[in-house]
Amino acid sequence: MSKYDVIVVGAGNAGLTASVALSQKGLKVLLLERHNIPGGCATSFCRGKFEFEVALHQLSGIGTSDRPGPLRMNLAKLGIMDELEFVEIPELYNVFMADGFSISLDHDRERVVSELQQKFPKEKDSIEAFFDLVYKYANDMIGIFFFKDPEPSREKYPTMYKYAFRPSIEVLNEYFSDPLLKAVVSAYWGYIGLPPTRLSFAYLAMLLFVYIEFKPFHIKGGSQALSNALVNRFLANGGEIRFNCPVKKINIRERAVKGVTTEEGETIEARYVVSNVSPVATYYQLIDPDLIPSSVYQEIGAKSLSPSAFTLYIGFDCEPEQLGISGTTNFLIHNPDISDRALELMKNTSISEEAMLLSCYDVADPDFSPPGTCQASVVTLKYGEPWLRIPPRQYHKVKFACAEQMLQRVEQVFPGLRDHIEELDVATPLTHMRYLGHPAGAIYGFEQYAKDSMFFQLGHYSPFKGLLFASGWVEGGGFQPTLQAGIHAAKAIVKEKSQ
Amino acid sequence: MKDIFKEFDGYDQVLQEIQVSKKHWKSYAAEAKTTADHINLLHPWRIDFRVLEIIEETQDAKAIRLVPENGYLPPFLAGQYIALFLEIDGIRTSRPYSISSPPNQAGYYDVTVKRVKNGLVSNYLLDEVKRGARIQASGPAGNFYHNPLFHDKTMVCIAGGSGITPFMSMIREITQCGLDREVYLFYGNKTLDEVIFHSELEELSSRFEKIHYIPVIEQPPSDYHAASGLITGQLIRNRVGDLAHKTFYLCGPKGLYEFCIPELQNLGIPLKKIRKEVYGPPEDITRYPGWPENVKKNDTFSVRVNNGETIEVRAGESLLVALENAGVIVPSLCRSGECSMCRVKIVSGKVFQPQGIPIRKSDRTFGYVHSCVSFPISDLDILV
Repeated sequence: MSKYDVIVVGAGNAGLTASVALSQKGLKVLLLERHNIPGGCATSFCRGKFEFEVALHQLSGIGTSDRPGPLRMNLAKLGIMDELEFVEIPELYNVFMADGFSISLDHDRERVVSELQQKFPKEKDSIEAFFDLVYKYANDMIGIFFFKDPEPSREKYPTMYKYAFRPSIEVLNEYFSDPLLKAVVSAYWGYIGLPPTRLSFAYLAMLLFVYIEFKPFHIKGGSQALSNALVNRFLANGGEIRFNCPVKKINIRERAVKGVTTEEGETIEARYVVSNVSPVATYYQLIDPDLIPSSVYQEIGAKSLSPSAFTLYIGFDCEPEQLGISGTTNFLIHNPDISDRALELMKNTSISEEAMLLSCYDVADPDFSPPGTCQASVVTLKYGEPWLRIPPRQYHKVKFACAEQMLQRVEQVFPGLRDHIEELDVATPLTHMRYLGHPAGAIYGFEQYAKDSMFFQLGHYSPFKGLLFASGWVEGGGFQPTLQAGIHAAKAIVKEKSQ
Repeated sequence: MKDIFKEFDGYDQVLQEIQVSKKHWKSYAAEAKTTADHINLLHPWRIDFRVLEIIEETQDAKAIRLVPENGYLPPFLAGQYIALFLEIDGIRTSRPYSISSPPNQAGYYDVTVKRVKNGLVSNYLLDEVKRGARIQASGPAGNFYHNPLFHDKTMVCIAGGSGITPFMSMIREITQCGLDREVYLFYGNKTLDEVIFHSELEELSSRFEKIHYIPVIEQPPSDYHAASGLITGQLIRNRVGDLAHKTFYLCGPKGLYEFCIPELQNLGIPLKKIRKEVYGPPEDITRYPGWPENVKKNDTFSVRVNNGETIEVRAGESLLVALENAGVIVPSLCRSGECSMCRVKIVSGKVFQPQGIPIRKSDRTFGYVHSCVSFPISDLDILV
C-alpha cells in the first residue's frame, strides 16, 4: 500500500486547486513543487518597499456575492472564500493611442456601448448590434455548455453555430469600418495571445461578456494570496506539500502510473499523478520516451507554442494620479493596425509598435502598495524562441535595451513618469522559462487557434492509466481556466476511484 | 451533444487544418531541451568551482579566485553575489559573497573574504581553504547593481570594510569596458592597514578622471592628512559638489547604514536615490528595537520541524542557523531576509523579525517567514 493516493507535480494554479479538491474528498495527496513558493505564475516578489504582482491582471469569473460567477462558486466549494478578499476593478479597460486618442470603457454593457458611441458616432448602430451579437453568442454558449442542453440545434443556437469558428477580424470588419474602433473593441486579444486575424470570435465574445457580466477583479495581497490560501486549505485538509522538491521522473509500468522519482532520487508511489507541468515537458522530460505512443507526440506536435511576455515591474514614489494614471487596466496601442503584423512584432526581441498593457492595481486597491506610492506592470507579448538565440553574455544588454524601448513608449502616454521610478525590474521570456519551465516560456500554453480552441483541447487526458494533466496547457491559459482545470482533473480522479 | 461543434459553420476547414497539422507535426524535443539548457547557462542552480588562486589583499582579507570545473561561467551584473555552500565541522551552511571581479572577466569569479571575529565561515575560508579546493556555489543573484533604466550615470558609492567588493566589480567593469559612468567612492575603514584594494583603487583613480577614490580612515596614524573619521554628509558634499542627478549606493556593516543614511538625508537626498545592499543577518538581534525584554539571548525554545523531530534553539540564533546546525537542509541564498529562498511556515508559536524585512503581504497573513532573519521567542511548530 502506498502512502499517497495522488501525487500532484507542480503547485501552480491548477496543481493547487487539484490538490485542494482531492484532499477535500479525503484522498491522501502529496504536492511536490520545485520552487520555494507556491503559485507558479500566481505569485509576487519583493523589491525594496514594493511587492510586485507577477501575472494577475483582471481575474475573470468572480462576480458579486449576490450574482456569483463560476470561479467564485468553485473557490467557495474549495473552502477558501473566507481567506480572500476580492477587489472589483471599477472599469473594463482604457485604451491610449500614440496620437493622443484615449477612451475609458466602463464594465457595464449599456455604458460600454454609449462610451463607444460617443467616440464613434458614425457607427452608433453597429456598436449596439455588435454587443447584441456578443451577448447572443454568450447566451448560446451558456445554454449549450453550462446548462448542457441535451438537444442543441442550429435553430435554438444560431449565433453559436454561425460564429464559433469565425475569425474575430471578419466579424469586426462586418460590423465596423473605423480601424480605430476595431482596435479598441478587440484590445482583449492579448489575453489569449492571438491577434484578431487569428482569434476565433468565440474567444473575443466570451472575454467581453465575462468581464462585463462578472466584472474584472483583483485580490487583496495579489495572486500570491490566492496561492497561499489554497496551500493553507490543502494543509488543513491533511495534504502534504514539499517545496524545493523537483520531480525527475514520472514512473510508468504497463501503461499505468506507479508514482514519481524526485531529483534527489526518492521514489514515491501513488496510483494517480496529476501533472501541473506542461505536456511538452511532461512527455519529453519526465517520462521514459520508449513508453510514449507516437500518437502523443503527434497530438501535441500539431499544436504551436503561445507567446511568452516581456514585462516591466515598476514601483513609483507617488500616487497614480500624479503619473496621470486614472484606470487600473490600460492598453497602450501604437496604431490601430490589428493585422497579422502583430504576430511579426511578437517574433522580435526589440519593442517598437507593440500593443502593451499597463496595469496599475493601486487605482482599484489603494492598499496595494505602501502609502504614497504605487506600482505598475507593463507587459507585451513576445515569442520566447528569439530570446534563446541571444548569447548569454549579451542577455543583460538586450534586456535593458528592450526595457528602455518599452519605457519610452510608456512615457509617450504618461510623460514624466520616469522621474518617479523608485524600483524597476524586468522579466523577459527567459524569466518565464526559468520560473515556469515552459518550453519557450509560453505563458498561455498552446496557442488557441480555432483548430486548437476549446472544442478540441486535450483536457486532463493522457494515454496512461492514472496520469492526468491540469494546467493552462490543457484547457486554455489564464487564471480562471487553469484554476478550473485543476478542479476538473480532481473530479475525474474522484469519479474513477468511486467506480 | 459532445460533438455538436461538427455542425458549426467552418468546421470542415478547421478539420482540414487539424489533419494538416497532425500530418506535419513537429517534435518538441529540441524546445524542451534548449529551454532547460539555456536557462542553465544564465541561471545555473549550482556551479562547481575549484580554487585557482588565493590572493592576500590585506592581513585580514583574501581574494579567492574561483574557476568553474566545467569551464563555463554565467554572466552577471556588477554588484551581484554568489552563495558559497560549505560543510564546516559537519555543518552544512552557506554564505553570500559579492563577486569582486568584473563581469567582463569570463574566466573566473573572485570573491573577497574579510575575517569576521568568531566568524565560522570567514575563518574557514581564510585559514582552511587552499589552492585546488573544490567549492560549490549558487549562480549569481542579487539586486544591487546599476540599473540603466532609472539610475543616474554618476554613482556615489559608500563602502565599509568588505562592503567594497560589489563596488570593485563595478569600477573594474567601468574602467576596463570604458562605460560612460562616473564614480565617487567613499571607502571607510578603521585603520589604513585594513583597506582592501587600496593600491588598485589609487591607481585607477589617477588614471581615470571619472573615478574618484576617497578612502576614509576612522583611526588614522598621526601623520595622516587625507580624509579621516566617518563618512559624513559634509565630506560627501565637499568631494562630490552638486548632489543632483546622482544615485547613492551603500554597502557595509549595519553601523554604516545607521550613520550614513541620515547624513545623506540631511543633505536632502531622497530615499529613493539611496540603494542599499543587504549585509547579512543582525549580529545581536536582542538589541533590535521591539525585541521582547523578557526574552534573553541564550533562552532556548523547542522547535518542532515538519511534525517530527524537535530541536532546541537559542533565542539569539536565527531559525536558519539552528536548522542547519541540526542537520536540516533549508535552501538559502542572501541570508539577509531579502531573497525569500529560506521561507518556512510558522504553524504555531512566535518569532521575532527585525523591521523592514521585505516579506510578501500574504506570507505574513499565512505565517511564512524568512528563516534567516527569524528568531524564536516561544516554542515553535514549523514546516520547512
